[in-house]
Amino acid sequence: MTVSQATFLRPQQLKDVASRLRERGGRMQMVYAWHPEPDRTEVRYVVTEPNQHAFGIWSCDALGGVPSLAGIWPLMAWHEREVMDLFGVQFLDHPQPQPLVLHEGANPVRPPFDSAYPHDVTLQAEAAKQSIPEIAGAEADVQLLPFGPVRADVLESAEFIFFYIGEAILHYHPRLFFKHRGMEKRFEGLSADRAVILAERVSGVGSVAHALAYCQAVEAAANCIVPPRALFLRVLLAEMERLYNHLHYFGHLCHTTTLKVGEAEGKLLEEHAKQLNVRLTGSRFLRSILTIGGLRRDLSPDGWLGAELQRLRRDFSVYAERMENTDSHLDRLITTGKLDAHVAFDQGATGPVDRASGLDRDLRRDHAYAAYGQLSTAVAVRESGDAHARAQVRMGEIGASIALMQEALSRLPNGSVRVECSVMPKAEGLGWAESPRGTLFYAVHFDSQGKLARVKIKSPSFSNWRVFPYTVHDSNMMDYAINEASFGLTIAGCDR
Amino acid sequence: MPNEFLFVTVCAWLTAAVIALFGRILIVSRILLVFGCITAIAAAVLSLPNGTSMIVLPTQLAGEQVSFQLTADGLWLLGFGLAPAALACALASPSRQGQGGWLFGAAASLVGGLGVFGLQDGAGFLIAWEIMSFGGAVMLLSERLTADVGRPVLFMLSLLEAGALALIAMILLFAYSVHSFAFEAFRRAGSDLPYWIAIVGAVLLVIGFGAKLGLLPFYEWFPGAYGAGSGASGALLSGLVMNAAFFALSRGLLDWAPGQTGIGATGLGIFVIVIGVVSAILSALYAFQEEDWRALLSFSSAENASIAVAMLGAALIFRADGRQDLAGLAWMVSLLHLAGHALAKGGLLLAADAVYRATGQYGIFHTDLLRRGSWVFGVGALFAAMSLAAMPPQAGFVSEWYVFQTVFQGFRLDSLAGRLIMALAGAGLALTVAVAFATFVKVFGIGLLGRSARPATSISGGSTVVVGLLGLGVLALAVGMPVWLDALRVAVASEFGAQVARDMHDGFLLVPLTAKFAFISPTLLVIVMPLLAVIPILLVLMSRRFPIRRVPVWYGGFDHDPERASTTALTFSNALRTFYSFIYRPTEEVQREANGAVHYFVQRLVFTHDVAPIFGPYVFAPAIRSVFITASKLRALQSGHLNFYLALIGILFVIVLALALL
Amino acid sequence: MPLWTLIGLLEGKQTAPWPLHDGADGQSGFIGMPRYHPERCGEGCDACAEVCPTHAITMRPSDKDRPLDIDYGRCIVCQLCTEACPTQAMMPSSDWAFGARRREDLIWKEQPQTSTSIRGKPVSTFRRSLHIRHVDAGSCNGCESELQALNNPFYNLHRLGIFFTASPRFADLLLVTGPVTYAMLNPLRATYEAMAEPRWVMAVGTCAVSGGVAEGGYSCGHGLEGVLPVDVYLPGCPPNPAAIIHSLLMFLNRMPQRVRGGQLAE
Repeated sequence: MTVSQATFLRPQQLKDVASRLRERGGRMQMVYAWHPEPDRTEVRYVVTEPNQHAFGIWSCDALGGVPSLAGIWPLMAWHEREVMDLFGVQFLDHPQPQPLVLHEGANPVRPPFDSAYPHDVTLQAEAAKQSIPEIAGAEADVQLLPFGPVRADVLESAEFIFFYIGEAILHYHPRLFFKHRGMEKRFEGLSADRAVILAERVSGVGSVAHALAYCQAVEAAANCIVPPRALFLRVLLAEMERLYNHLHYFGHLCHTTTLKVGEAEGKLLEEHAKQLNVRLTGSRFLRSILTIGGLRRDLSPDGWLGAELQRLRRDFSVYAERMENTDSHLDRLITTGKLDAHVAFDQGATGPVDRASGLDRDLRRDHAYAAYGQLSTAVAVRESGDAHARAQVRMGEIGASIALMQEALSRLPNGSVRVECSVMPKAEGLGWAESPRGTLFYAVHFDSQGKLARVKIKSPSFSNWRVFPYTVHDSNMMDYAINEASFGLTIAGCDR
Repeated sequence: MPNEFLFVTVCAWLTAAVIALFGRILIVSRILLVFGCITAIAAAVLSLPNGTSMIVLPTQLAGEQVSFQLTADGLWLLGFGLAPAALACALASPSRQGQGGWLFGAAASLVGGLGVFGLQDGAGFLIAWEIMSFGGAVMLLSERLTADVGRPVLFMLSLLEAGALALIAMILLFAYSVHSFAFEAFRRAGSDLPYWIAIVGAVLLVIGFGAKLGLLPFYEWFPGAYGAGSGASGALLSGLVMNAAFFALSRGLLDWAPGQTGIGATGLGIFVIVIGVVSAILSALYAFQEEDWRALLSFSSAENASIAVAMLGAALIFRADGRQDLAGLAWMVSLLHLAGHALAKGGLLLAADAVYRATGQYGIFHTDLLRRGSWVFGVGALFAAMSLAAMPPQAGFVSEWYVFQTVFQGFRLDSLAGRLIMALAGAGLALTVAVAFATFVKVFGIGLLGRSARPATSISGGSTVVVGLLGLGVLALAVGMPVWLDALRVAVASEFGAQVARDMHDGFLLVPLTAKFAFISPTLLVIVMPLLAVIPILLVLMSRRFPIRRVPVWYGGFDHDPERASTTALTFSNALRTFYSFIYRPTEEVQREANGAVHYFVQRLVFTHDVAPIFGPYVFAPAIRSVFITASKLRALQSGHLNFYLALIGILFVIVLALALL
Repeated sequence: MPLWTLIGLLEGKQTAPWPLHDGADGQSGFIGMPRYHPERCGEGCDACAEVCPTHAITMRPSDKDRPLDIDYGRCIVCQLCTEACPTQAMMPSSDWAFGARRREDLIWKEQPQTSTSIRGKPVSTFRRSLHIRHVDAGSCNGCESELQALNNPFYNLHRLGIFFTASPRFADLLLVTGPVTYAMLNPLRATYEAMAEPRWVMAVGTCAVSGGVAEGGYSCGHGLEGVLPVDVYLPGCPPNPAAIIHSLLMFLNRMPQRVRGGQLAE
């Protein structure tokens, strides 16, 4: 959608408007900042209005500071801290105004997104006191373990700070953004079609979702109509990505519950899915296919993909049934890492994580994009909010994905797969996609030469990492790895 | 000759007390206390194995002459109790205030303790007992190391007085029966006393002395009282005072108990051993959960005293069954146990003082002191901890081994009850020893060995010498045990009529009366272990040297303080806390303080944890409540109305008149 | 309760025959690094250089025989150059076995004369047993996904005697992915310091070799150059598991290095 319908607000109105949004059942998605002119900073809020396909946009000038909405919408705390770090905008009365995206000690000479930031000057990491909760009372009895950033096994880098007593975890504080690559800033100055390559590499296992959200944002800005065949193929690619991600999830989950053969089976199924990806597109991660206005080249899934998906569906059903009948595996999952629905809502959980806690939301059905509006998307929801529920939601999603793909294959129209798009100067667009981990937003702004001026990425892992600590407090060490695996998050997507 | 020494001892201590009262030139007082201890130890060394000769003091109490005599077992326990006492007085309390009061209290405890060991009549004994308790309380109160020192001392005194009441009742009961306060009369009348008087007397003895020794439920004053004072006070309380109480209990139960054989004697023995073992288990469990040096060591003292009392019970059971040699063995074991315990406990309590002097607190946390202090201190503290954890080749291991050997020989008993009780006692004592082992690993491992990045503090020279000496003493006791056993030969022969002391060692081996059953030998271990170590040392010296590159501990990429993630005192004991939660009823609470109204943004965590005592809520709290209720009822007498008081006086006149006329 | 062990045994052997025997390596249909045919280049045409996101292709205006410099260490396999090229001078191929011991082997050159295989360290001690410590220095998670796939039943790295370890103390090889963000620079160096000698370093993925799409800027470096001494380079975005296996075996002198002057020998 284009954002000419942005609502302009004054800073003093923000808290009222935000409260009223909450009362009428809407939802706050994110806030970001950008420079319409080099010396002006504007903050943009993206909100969901109940029962509306389009998203609401609020715009507010940031000069002199903006009141923090974290008191009304706790999920905004992290978004506002990111804006503080990268743009230097003041959020008044923020409950935790500590650096988030740039580590303590990074101390940039100016905010990195400032137009006057010196080109190619890299930050230096200095040792500095971390902002973690303070322990009082019997503090000599509480152990403090900073675990990471280099962790055991082949895992992404992040530091987790545990306050614990032997087995019991009192408090948990993840310190992410070691992998912050400043991807959003790299978009600036590129032409829209070149930047798809960048979007694909923000989160390696979410290439299609990111590229799709980005392309849809630009297509919205350019008022471009994508050909129907491309829309259906886009659905196919997105669901193929969901498939191999969820299969990897089960392999990793069985690894943490030490179900060795289950782990091997899950990872083998993931490998089969990735090899299907290669057969379809030449890339194991479905890269180098999506572009502005459709696809870069046509695909030919007819005659073989349907049968392969059937086989995979059969194999997975057997596998899932076995897992659901393994008591030792279920014992580790049931009641582990329980996430209450109100915490999930307040902290902005998204994707299978919030669907496992009873919040029925899915961008494919509620804000349909690509060809989803013409297909029947079944959404799996569970109530218990524990690790088992999160696993069951993903099981349901695999079945639903394969059914969607079969339907898309059977109704695949013929025709071209690409249309030329040209962007007007100063255009803006918002694109979104339901990635395997949840809702993904791309907000794009173009400058007067038609090049990208600002790209904002809200990844689902960013939202879910905010939620995760609330399931770890007052739990125990043995369950931690299983709980983290049950969330199935990436750190690259969060850190960007 | 020894009596002259003892006279010098008493004079020195009394002079020290007087000087301490004046509060000037306290160093003289300290020197006199130490000098007195040394002369008393010399007297003990000179008199063993026979004991001192009786002297009659030129005073009369309750219409009888007061006599003073130290038997061999009394000398043994006195000597070993005075060793840590002397060193504690040499270092004195680490508190900056109340030195004079502390020295006075120490002198009072010492004099009272000597009286408890030696006075041979009931009235004098009770006076000496009260002086000893009084001295202990004065020591704790003068130090003022904590803000609220009055309440735990009051609790201690009330329980001790409850015990003293039992003792008074017992002595009055016996004195009424034998028409004399002299202990000699009690002894002679032993088997002639009516059966029930002897049993009731014995139970009163156990209650009375148990209050001081820490038998259940009396061990609950230990953590509060010890925790309000310093390690030096504790060294005196756990050494001399505890030995005195045990000596009196052992004399009472063995000499004055009903006859030598019979159901009553076996029943009494079973009662004593059960009390001992259950107290030992409970105090060991609570010791393990403590995080303050003094409180932990106080529970450990109660545990060790309970083990000695259990051995006393075993001696009674064996003697009732006619096995005099095994009874003698059990009795000897209890004496050995307390000897080693006095030295080791004194060593660790003075090490606690050293920690306090270095860091300003008595908590068990990572101090890094071992690395920064002298190796002498470390070795001394290690030997003391090893002894209390019953690790070879220390004295604690020797006495624990003997304990188990005694209990194993319970199969020689005829009665089924006796055999069963011995087996159960063995199981209970095994649990105790295991928990004690974990406790001392915790004390030494976390309290002294733990690394820390805190600012550097160090152990003072005096503490190093003192702890080193006591640790060395522990090892010397174990290694030279075949020689030291001889000191008790006359005592055990006269008490039980068997040559137990001679039969407990076979050359360099220590045996439970016969080498065919089992044997150990710390003497040989101390020679063999270093020799065995020579081979690996040679291998290391002869091996090829690679260049060493040191890098920080691997934490995942950052350099972190290893102390913050290290096992803490709570973490170490947490598993047992959960396992025995039906005893501990533990509580753990985390309060999250958030910034502003939204609870999600936690800025501060307040963490508290506790274990609940068993007898406190169920026995003492109701008793205290009833005292308060009675007091508030009696408050009515203080109505403040003149007419009411006049009426009371009038009623009293009438009653007096009625009594006079009747 | 399913008998998982029995299920696993009945499933049979799922491991690819490659590399121990000839057979499928699982990468059929994979589109890899583009191949350069200098003779087909158009006069003054810079379509591919202009479109390459990482400047892997640069012009050489003075040289008529070879108008382009191609650094495969910067190639992110996006295929934009093959689509932009009007004369089929840049052609898509399925070349993925680009593991190289020297950085200059990734730079396109005319076919080198010598065909001697490049051998190097490590000595034979590690030939059948290598322990790897992986550090993620800011990757997009694509390389991690492929590295995690190495232990699935299809690739089964363990059968080759190669293992991932939890601590750098046990590791022989440090495998780095990502362009080295500012925050991961010190932990990466600390990991290298924590390894006992002999130790080696491998750069997996174009980001680690040269920075990839995430090069420079306010938070990233330029890969491992200048940060650690690198012994094996493997470009790819991400390199597939077979490429990783090939480069590891090449490092252990169990397979020959195939890339020479930016071209794969057969």
